[in-house]
Amino acid sequence: MWKWIQKLASPKVFYETTNKLIPWFFWPFIVLIIIGLYWGLVLAPADYQQGESFRIIYIHVPSAWMSMLVYFIMAVAGGIGLIWQIKMAEVVAKVSAPIGATFTLIALVTGAVWGKPMWGTWWVWDARLTSELILLFLYLAYISLNNAFDNPKTAAKASSILAIVGLVNLPIIHYSVKWWNTLHQGSMFNDMSNPSMHPDMLWPLFIMVFAFQFLYGVLALVNARDEVLVREQNSRWVRAVVTGEKL
Amino acid sequence: MTLAETLSFLPYGKYALYIWLSYGITFILILGLFMRASINYKKIRSQLKKKYAREND
Repeated sequence: MWKWIQKLASPKVFYETTNKLIPWFFWPFIVLIIIGLYWGLVLAPADYQQGESFRIIYIHVPSAWMSMLVYFIMAVAGGIGLIWQIKMAEVVAKVSAPIGATFTLIALVTGAVWGKPMWGTWWVWDARLTSELILLFLYLAYISLNNAFDNPKTAAKASSILAIVGLVNLPIIHYSVKWWNTLHQGSMFNDMSNPSMHPDMLWPLFIMVFAFQFLYGVLALVNARDEVLVREQNSRWVRAVVTGEKL
Repeated sequence: MTLAETLSFLPYGKYALYIWLSYGITFILILGLFMRASINYKKIRSQLKKKYAREND
């Protein structure tokens, strides 16, 4: 395992690996998103309380989960870059930030749109919504800090520290519905063996969660591949890749 | 007549506005991520090609 990580830390091997992996993430994403959307929008029955409006769950929940998962990946990759000085970990952290910020924005916007017919308001300063909004600000701060330095090493160092400090917000988001009396509903998955959703509604949700994971994978790989080219532009192998010359 | 009532002829009736608005915004944002990746791909390769051409001259 360690040997494999060391091998992947080489920019050239990393570039070649990302290139090979892109179709393995792209096509499962396409298949899963088609199945998930059809099942969620057409086959799944309407909710007995919320009616058809519950269908927003199929984009709101996966994007909210991904907003936290991507932040966790970004902070861990940033930490690896800080501790072991692995440049490719810095690349993973940097390219994850805009994707994670977009997932957070989707979660906030779809939540607001869902809130209007259900709660009668677009927004409330509820613990879950506010902590998710703080997550968006953390992503934006990370992106700004990363772009504020000309030296990629300094940029990665400063932004990784911010990402690690911001990790404290993840348990707050997760447990906010338990710790505080919130308007946002509680977790549906406290007991996985007995979820509070019918399988006809639950399965498309799981499929959409997997689809969003593959979506993150494909976007992170594509952006990481390009970021490696920029960082290693003075290497002979990058020149060979771009110009088609032989090494 | 509210906008939600006006758009109630669409699938999902009185919730059509909210459902299609959510899915529409999500689609646009995800499309934006793909477009950004595609523009970066072309931009980076073109900049590097110019740089290497300059170095060869």
